[in-house]
Amino acid sequence: MSMLIQVVLDGIWSGLLYGLVAAGLSLIWGVMDVLNFAHGEFLMAAMYVSFWLGFLFKLDPLVTWIAAGAFLFILSVLSYKLVVKRTMGKAMAPLLATFGLSMLIKNFAMNRFTPNFRILSDTVMDGKSIIFGEVVIPVPQFVVGIFSLVVLGALYLFLTRTRFGWAVQATAMDAEAARLMGVNTERIFLLVFGIGGACVGVAGGLLPSYLATHPDIGTLFGLIAFMVVALGGFGSIPGALLAALIIGLVESLAGFYFAPVYKYVAVFGIYLVVILVRPKGLFGW
Amino acid sequence: MKRTLLAVVAIVLLIAGAGAQDKVIKIGTLFPLTGSVATAGQRCQAAVETIVDIINGIYPDLDLPIAKKAGLLNGYKIELIKADHQGKPDVAKSEAERLYEQEGVFAVIGSYNSSASKPASAVAERLQKIFMCGASSSAALTERGLQYFFRLAPTDRIENVEFAHWIEELNKVKAAGIKTAAVIYENTEFGKHAADEAKVVSAKMGVKIVADVPFTPGATNLNSEIQKLKAARPDALFAAVLGADYSLMIRTMKQSAWKPKMAINYCGGYQDPKIAEQMGKDGWGFMGSAGYTPEFGSRFMKAVAPVEKYYKAKVGVPFDTEKVAQVLRTTTFDSPLSMGGKVQFGPDGQNIKAASVISQLQNGSYVTVYPYEFKDGDPIFPMPNW
Amino acid sequence: MNSKIIRKLGFPTLVFALALLPAFGVIGKGFTSHVLILILLNAAMAQAWNLIGGYGGQVSFGHSVFFGIGAYGAAYAVCVGGNAPWGGALAGIIIAAVVSVLVSYPCFKLKGHYFAIATFAIVEIFNRLFMVWDWIGGALGLDYPILKDSWKNFTWASDKTGYYYGAVVIFALVFAIIKYLEKARFGYYLRAVREGQETAESLGVNSTRMKLAAMALSAAVAALCGAFFAQYNYRVDPPTVMSLDMSMKFVLVAILGGIGTFWGPLLGALVLIPLQEYTRAYLAKLGSGVDLIIFGLIIILMMEFQPGGIMGILSAVRKKAIAARSQKPEGAR
Repeated sequence: MSMLIQVVLDGIWSGLLYGLVAAGLSLIWGVMDVLNFAHGEFLMAAMYVSFWLGFLFKLDPLVTWIAAGAFLFILSVLSYKLVVKRTMGKAMAPLLATFGLSMLIKNFAMNRFTPNFRILSDTVMDGKSIIFGEVVIPVPQFVVGIFSLVVLGALYLFLTRTRFGWAVQATAMDAEAARLMGVNTERIFLLVFGIGGACVGVAGGLLPSYLATHPDIGTLFGLIAFMVVALGGFGSIPGALLAALIIGLVESLAGFYFAPVYKYVAVFGIYLVVILVRPKGLFGW
Repeated sequence: MKRTLLAVVAIVLLIAGAGAQDKVIKIGTLFPLTGSVATAGQRCQAAVETIVDIINGIYPDLDLPIAKKAGLLNGYKIELIKADHQGKPDVAKSEAERLYEQEGVFAVIGSYNSSASKPASAVAERLQKIFMCGASSSAALTERGLQYFFRLAPTDRIENVEFAHWIEELNKVKAAGIKTAAVIYENTEFGKHAADEAKVVSAKMGVKIVADVPFTPGATNLNSEIQKLKAARPDALFAAVLGADYSLMIRTMKQSAWKPKMAINYCGGYQDPKIAEQMGKDGWGFMGSAGYTPEFGSRFMKAVAPVEKYYKAKVGVPFDTEKVAQVLRTTTFDSPLSMGGKVQFGPDGQNIKAASVISQLQNGSYVTVYPYEFKDGDPIFPMPNW
Repeated sequence: MNSKIIRKLGFPTLVFALALLPAFGVIGKGFTSHVLILILLNAAMAQAWNLIGGYGGQVSFGHSVFFGIGAYGAAYAVCVGGNAPWGGALAGIIIAAVVSVLVSYPCFKLKGHYFAIATFAIVEIFNRLFMVWDWIGGALGLDYPILKDSWKNFTWASDKTGYYYGAVVIFALVFAIIKYLEKARFGYYLRAVREGQETAESLGVNSTRMKLAAMALSAAVAALCGAFFAQYNYRVDPPTVMSLDMSMKFVLVAILGGIGTFWGPLLGALVLIPLQEYTRAYLAKLGSGVDLIIFGLIIILMMEFQPGGIMGILSAVRKKAIAARSQKPEGAR
């Protein structure tokens, strides 16, 4: 029994992490109908920011996530201005252009930082865990989970409760109409892309407290973020959270009760099954 | 691993040098300089470049005859042609072809990944050229009956035999009571081979494998993997885990508050001093194979001179692959830079003198604990808890 | 310019010229032959993708699954069965076509990005299942034994002429199929479905059947290319033949050349493959990953300025030339 609780809890932590990673992607997709292929590489870039700040200035990821978020906001805004804006509206062009961007970022990291694995030692949360009898709650994953809920909640409130959020939603539904109503859609796209980047920046900023940083780290996270967003449905934040939790739980349960090698097969399989029943995702319309 | 490579190069170069017609000998290197295992590949490359620098230049401070003068024999310089296979077998194959046919190298040294060494050495075999393998541990490589393939590094089979002796020794001396074991390995050529050998050896020792946990490398987490191990409660853990996954494994073990009595690693994350340093105390107590220790090197630095003299006298042959391969097959070399101290290739091309030692990471340094003739410290057993 | 010459000479002449190349001693050993073979192979792969991705409008990132099945078919026959690769390759082609229909039928319901992401998931599932499927070598892959050079074994140790002819045959076959389909009713229907599924259906075109047929043909051709790839590299394993990286090769070449155009895949391969092969060999001094950085930049710039690919650039240049010519007399007056 305690094993089941442990496995379920592990699944929830992974799920919340995936949710945090996918939040920005979901926002961007929902508002702009652009699938940012470089999302995983954005995560990797944020991890490097946090790692270097930790390595050079002995700052903890609990602090440097702010810097990583800010850096990613800027990186995202630049990516929007230089890449996405110039390709939007041309069928698959943004997807492929951001694929080019992902190659660029990944190999730039490879070239500048070498493919070495970089690990921050002695971070505040590293290796700490809370133990309830047989059940262990790892502190870093728990903290990342809290961050995930806060960020997703804030995004949700921002979209539904603020004037700017309404303008974003209006743009998402019909950019042309929004423009005619006096919404500066260009500024909205820019900010949405920036905020989306900042969200993944927060995730990447926290991760070095227990994950090694290297140029390839973003690939699988990026792929899982795609699954989360598509499973949750077109830009729905609650959908993304639910999808992330499903994926985390499926991964953990299948990994433990079936076999670890099949855990990603189960993740991608459950995605396919759900998407075939609900082609627009759980919360999609 | 680095050591072995140095030895490989020294030998290839000495032999090749004996027959070169012009004063330059071209040797190709084929390592994963980019891609996911590029760290290791770049280290291999650096190792080869180091020895070539030593051979080509004059380094009077080094206790190596090849260092004392420039070039080999009558001043033959080595020219390295480097190639990158990116960890991809198809690229390895085409780059091997390019090195042999386009660049005209005499021999190729490579390729770290067993999956890349296989097609690359198949190219060499088809072209009847020498392929020197430094650090691919898959035993299957030398079971293909190749004529021009030579490997210096110990295979995971050799390592496993060593592991078995070690566990039996611990059971005897420390009353360790190791009866069950678990294997965790990345589901790749490297991990799979290591794990298969581990299972064979365990069966022979009468140690029961209670958990068999392959995982996909580059995973986002190893929670279910570690939970599975924890649930099976093995006495010992065999791990074939590379780089970033190794640190993730140890951290997840720590977070899950679980440690077996002993954990023993195949080459991979454990051997990386950088990772060891970064992991800090968390990595202490783990053991592994062939982890090179500086003390080891200093003890085994003997002269290469006899080798060189021997070749000056004996091999006055032209630049001929067939003859060099013949020499490689029939000679026992003194190899001051490799662990076994000697190098001798069996008919399958495997270095039968390849030795493997078991080390343990203690207080931040690798301490050789077994076999006893090489040891510089006693093992800490069982592993102290987190 | 280039396309003009090609168009003037025509496709049969090009194939004829390619087939004659070995007679001039250009093909044989060496890196140039290797690059030529890869160009032809990748052009054929991209053309296979172009059938469903370009003409059919379904952007699939799943073609490495079919490619991989073909590769495994040939490799299994040789490495496990100890036979010549031909039967295995044929089986692989058929299985790939069947799998493509089974997998695509439900997925065609999905639109745009949803379809693309579903194909990602399919590749990942196949990749991981093949990684643990010991019957076909699992993570170890299958390695070719050393065989005698012959057409029967379809292996050659160092002379690449045989492989080159093989690549020319595959290239000619695939391009001929597309050439035929462009003019055939099937081709028109397929493009009608791409332009508007509802409109096409209202005109009596069974869009699902059209897309499935295109997908099956595309998958079969991809599998054929995969079988050739296995023979050429003496090895198959899931990360090489059945991965997102391999899928991206199909897509990138087609897109760089120009989606939905006949010559696009060849032009794409002509640019991309030499870039990939020569930069790896000769830019290594600049440090790791430089070739891929350049690659990424090219893709970004191409998407920004000419999503129509090289064919798009060529037609833009031609339009400009025509416009300049027609303006000249006016200016003279």
